Amino acid sequence: MFERSKKLKKVIEHNRTATLADAIPETKYRILKINGGHKLNSRLYAMGLMPGEEFMVHNSSGGGPMIVAVKGSRFALGRGMTGKIIIEEV
Amino acid sequence: MAKKSITIALAGNPNSGKTTIFNELTGMRQHVGNYPGVTVEKRSGELVHNNYNIEIIDLPGIYSLTAFSEEEIVSRNYILENSPDVVINIIDSSNLERNLYLTVQLLELGVPMVLDFNMVDVARKKGMKIDESLLSELLGMPIVETVGPKGTGINKLLDAAIEVVQKKDKKRIEISYGDEIENELRKIMLILSRDFDPKGKIENRWLAVKLLERDSEVEKWLKGADENKFQKLKETVSNSIKHVNNIMRDTTEVLIADSRYGFIKGALHEAHEEADIDNTDITEKIDAILTNRFLGLPIFALIIWLMFQFVFTLGRYPMGWIETGFGKLSILLNGVISNELLRSLAVDGIIGGVGGVIIFTPNIALLFFAIAILEDSGYMARAAFVMDRIMHKVGLHGKSFIPLIIGFGCTVPAYMGSRILENKKDRLITMHINTFCSCGARLPVYILLAGTFFPAIAGNIIFSIYIIGIATAIIMAKVLRATRFKGEMEPFVMELPSYRIPTMKGIFIHTWERVWMYVKKAGTIILAISILMWIMFTFPIIGESEYSQDYTLQMNELGQSYESGSFTEESYLSKVSIIEGKMEAEKLEFAAAGRAGKFIEPVFRPLGFDWRMVVASISGIAAKEVIVSSFSTLFSLGGADETSESLQKKIRANYHPLVGYNFMLFTLLYFPCLASMAVFRREAGTKEMLFQMAYTMLLAWAVGFIVYQIGRLFI
Repeated sequence: MFERSKKLKKVIEHNRTATLADAIPETKYRILKINGGHKLNSRLYAMGLMPGEEFMVHNSSGGGPMIVAVKGSRFALGRGMTGKIIIEEV
Repeated sequence: MAKKSITIALAGNPNSGKTTIFNELTGMRQHVGNYPGVTVEKRSGELVHNNYNIEIIDLPGIYSLTAFSEEEIVSRNYILENSPDVVINIIDSSNLERNLYLTVQLLELGVPMVLDFNMVDVARKKGMKIDESLLSELLGMPIVETVGPKGTGINKLLDAAIEVVQKKDKKRIEISYGDEIENELRKIMLILSRDFDPKGKIENRWLAVKLLERDSEVEKWLKGADENKFQKLKETVSNSIKHVNNIMRDTTEVLIADSRYGFIKGALHEAHEEADIDNTDITEKIDAILTNRFLGLPIFALIIWLMFQFVFTLGRYPMGWIETGFGKLSILLNGVISNELLRSLAVDGIIGGVGGVIIFTPNIALLFFAIAILEDSGYMARAAFVMDRIMHKVGLHGKSFIPLIIGFGCTVPAYMGSRILENKKDRLITMHINTFCSCGARLPVYILLAGTFFPAIAGNIIFSIYIIGIATAIIMAKVLRATRFKGEMEPFVMELPSYRIPTMKGIFIHTWERVWMYVKKAGTIILAISILMWIMFTFPIIGESEYSQDYTLQMNELGQSYESGSFTEESYLSKVSIIEGKMEAEKLEFAAAGRAGKFIEPVFRPLGFDWRMVVASISGIAAKEVIVSSFSTLFSLGGADETSESLQKKIRANYHPLVGYNFMLFTLLYFPCLASMAVFRREAGTKEMLFQMAYTMLLAWAVGFIVYQIGRLFI
């Protein structure tokens, strides 16, 4: 809970959109947008990481890579990646 | 009736069980090569089925046919340029929606296809229900169910593929991208058919879709076809993209991907019932432990330690047998070959060289056995995840850690192990720094020199060398990333496959393949270079009159005094070996290697090295542990090892401790042995191998220069 409130506070304070890096386990989110280049975006879409897709975070290692479950697959996403995926809580 | 020949390509997502199907189809009749110009592995195999000679090409595992990775481009180009008779698309039945995304793209390419719903048993167990005939109709291609590890459905799969080839029907399902995009596609297709000759069998619709997806490869092709006309086309495409963007408030890539998923969802909606969401997924449970924030790293360390033990401890026994075998062979040849030169060529040159390489075979086999288990079980992806945070700081990929740690044992399997890195830049950087993880063969050199100059603190001295090696690896990783392999690091996105029990067949095929590749190398290039090294260390042969002393006379005198009983047999033999040692040293000095050493000596003077050290280093190219035996030859003490006191005395008398330490550093830094360079070339190409040799040599020299020149001020 502490982690969650700290993260959310940060998001609210800076008045910015939440990214995957802000996500916490056991909560359902939806992907709004991915701010990658068109190459990376196409790749992520092919893997099932699409805007509109709902997912859960299975592990947040505190700034490190994350495990995310989408469309029945599990993905590890690196730190550079997680900040590019804009999300909202469902 | 003569047999017909057809080609079948296998395509599918990573972790779809494609390799298992390939193994089931072809068994041991596989070839591994590389696609021209890239480091992507090309696997193929043959089989005979129902009067057809079938060639199977196993395309790399991919998620889509964009131009994102080498693998995708290679797969796409293969299908476009070689037009296989049929593509079997292997699908993980538990994950239809995502897997069918590739299917849809293959469909757009217009190749005849068969769908293989693999691992259907697992999906059924999870509660999936499917109306195959309906789905088959909706997708316009036959569907066959298989269970890869059990080999079920393989014959049906081949039957279906042959049927597709025989039918040659051109029934095509087309995906609609919605009015806005379809309008733009029509405009682009119009220009394509007007200004560009259709490129072989590639359809204009496919090209148009790719252009809207801003596919860099397709743009390159068209630009190459006609640069002026391409500029006009590009303008239209840019306008189309902008137009769609304005109206639909979304990028063309998203819209196109959306339509594809929409098509898949539509088909699945009618013919497929999703399993109840399985909360007690075993994979999730295992991951909760193995990728745990606190437990992940220690568990990873333990697994790597076990692997290390497995490879090097267990490997010691077969290595011993091989060594004994070669020893016996040498003795045998010594007796059989009467010509002294031929005997030396066979024993010192060929057995010494090739044997020195073959001896690593058990390590290679065990290592790849272990890696295959880690990969096939699904753990490797987790290891990369766990290590990514640390390795990222160094500018490397999480998986880089595995070849690097293996490098402390032996560089040869380490280079081969770099294959687990899919990204070319990551792989090359890892290979280029791997040599600084000091391999086991360099240890005897450190033991000799540290024991000679710093007997009281030898352990600390050796430890310092290892630490300097690691520091160099980190620094060079950063330097290489910032210079030669510039560019943003590939974002870390990796699927974590479900845990699976690996199949023995798969593991053995994988292991055998690597071992065979390695042994083949030993029999060809390494054999040639060993002979070359032998020639350098043997010719020109010193003439009787060119020795500095008359050793024959000394020998004769010695023999006479022995016969007259002046001294015991023991002291006679030791006196003989001293003379022989001196002769050996002069022989070497006279031979090309000795001359080369003296010729090159001025280059290494600023490092404090003399010609002997140069020759020892040259011999170290064959194998680093050879440096020790070269020293003993050079100081005319035949057959001394790293703990020999007389050798230590000689070395101490000739060099300052600073030079000794410097030489250890040099041994650490300059490129590793012949066997590993041959493997490097195989893995990364001649250019990269030459770069590796040149830059490590320069680095070794520069570090040696600085250490000696600065150190000299204090002594």
